[in-house]
Amino acid sequence: MAIISFNNITKNYKTGFRKKKTALRDFSLDIHEGEVFGFLGPNGAGKSTAIKLLLNLIFPTTGKAEILGRRVADREIKKLIGYLPENPYFYDYLNPIELLSFAGKTSGMDSLKIRKKTESLLNTVGLWSERKRAIRSYSKGMVQRVGLALALIHDPKVVILDEPMTGLDPIGRKQVIDLILKLKSEGKTVFFSSHILEDIERVCDRIGILVNGRLVRIMDIKSESLTRPLEEIFIEEVEKAGGARE
Amino acid sequence: MTAVWSVALITFKEGIKNRIIFGIFIIALLLFAATTILTTLFMRDIVKVAVDLSLSTVSFAGLLTLLFIGVNLFGKDLDKRTIYMVISRPVSRSQYLIGKFLGIVLLSFVVVAFLGILSAIPVILSKRFYYYPEARFDWWIYFIAVIYIFIKLAIVSAIITLFASFTSNSFIALVLSLVAYIIGQSTESVRGLLASQVEKIDVSPILSYMVEIAYYVFPNISAFDLKTQAAHGLSINPSYIIWTALYAIFYMTIAVVIGTLAFKRREFP
Ligand SMILES: Nc1ncnc2c1ncn2[C@@H]1O[C@H](COP(=O)(O)OP(=O)(O)OP(=O)(O)O)[C@@H](O)[C@H]1O
Ligand SMILES: [Mg+2]
Repeated sequence: MAIISFNNITKNYKTGFRKKKTALRDFSLDIHEGEVFGFLGPNGAGKSTAIKLLLNLIFPTTGKAEILGRRVADREIKKLIGYLPENPYFYDYLNPIELLSFAGKTSGMDSLKIRKKTESLLNTVGLWSERKRAIRSYSKGMVQRVGLALALIHDPKVVILDEPMTGLDPIGRKQVIDLILKLKSEGKTVFFSSHILEDIERVCDRIGILVNGRLVRIMDIKSESLTRPLEEIFIEEVEKAGGARE
Repeated sequence: MTAVWSVALITFKEGIKNRIIFGIFIIALLLFAATTILTTLFMRDIVKVAVDLSLSTVSFAGLLTLLFIGVNLFGKDLDKRTIYMVISRPVSRSQYLIGKFLGIVLLSFVVVAFLGILSAIPVILSKRFYYYPEARFDWWIYFIAVIYIFIKLAIVSAIITLFASFTSNSFIALVLSLVAYIIGQSTESVRGLLASQVEKIDVSPILSYMVEIAYYVFPNISAFDLKTQAAHGLSINPSYIIWTALYAIFYMTIAVVIGTLAFKRREFP
């Protein structure tokens, strides 16, 4: 069974009176249990759009998305999903402890478990010593780290990350890679978008390249080891599809 | 229920920690001080003036809190996408909206409770120093008047929730809420005026229909103003209390339910 499945999804955004922008065109993709899937594509290709559809933040114009065999509109499945938005933004005046407590409670955890998990996660992302400070005084990378902790607090089976390495220093990037590998070793399914091809090569089992709302290529990079650099393949696919924008 | 309550709690925390609230409290304290000083200038009816000004200050501070913090608690969620961290949890859009509403109600409750207690100081001072035995005053009625300020603010919170459910622009939500408040405060007197003058002047039927519609669409804010009763120590009819409380609950329910219906279909791109 596919853990995440997009079925013939088209997504149009309304951009004005009678004007629309098609962000995804007849997009279909299945992500399997326990795999790490890297989602690539130029800016504006539709990666974040696809991810937001999975969280039911936006609705498909046609087609349907499912996670663990259930429609994404079913809010119970969100207990099993961890999500990091791109450029996350959290409540200014709250601190990470309060945010994580909110996230844990709404995901059905009890307070003892929340406390334990909060401590271990904040240590993992390196924010334990800053835990009492309000988010508004955090740097961009620190906010990103809070977002990672929020995505993982409830020990989700499916982890969806939109550009998790953006804004992080080299050590932070390495930590995210280790985190993804650890999730994989625990049998979790990870679906993430990124522009850093080097990182993608290091952790992914499969990659998908999206150009202009169309999935132009899926590659199994663990079994068929790459004969050419990923960057070359990426550029070639983008050009074949007629460039980043039409 | 956990979901609704959790949303209410973070909304309240985010609101109460906002720095604007200090500003509002300082304004309120200055107004209380001014009330105390001002009452010394009046030769008579000192207690009445103190009660009126104290209650007005509580009401004004509560309204500022709702317009400058309450509206933004929604606005920022939608503009800056803080809502992602809520909707990506097992929290439905309706639960989010109801939780947000309750959080803002809780915020206005705390503001009214705090300032309501402080507002007694100018009243106590005026009573102590300028007591006229014939002046009627009843703390019980004063207390009810403070509670009614809270109920009024809860209705305004419901209106803010309703407007936030279909606009993501904080400024528009703020203006709409303020306009609704002002209209809501005057419909009753305008309607009363038209009814009493209908024989003497020509009122176009369209105008009186419009006033009638506004009377039912907008909340009757002036019904919750018990300043006069508190200032003159007039007893309040228990049935009035029951009916206005029911009206408030009914109005808030309708506003929030319409809000959830609009919000259910909303996307957060
Ligand atoms: N709210 C919106 N209204 C209109 N168009 C939008 C909206 N959000 C996204 N788009 C358009 O949809 C397309 C896909 O956007 P999306 O954010 O999914 O791209 P992306 O692949 O995540 O890009 P990036 O790598 O820059 O994050 C873009 O052309 C964008 O302009
Ligand atoms: Mg994106």
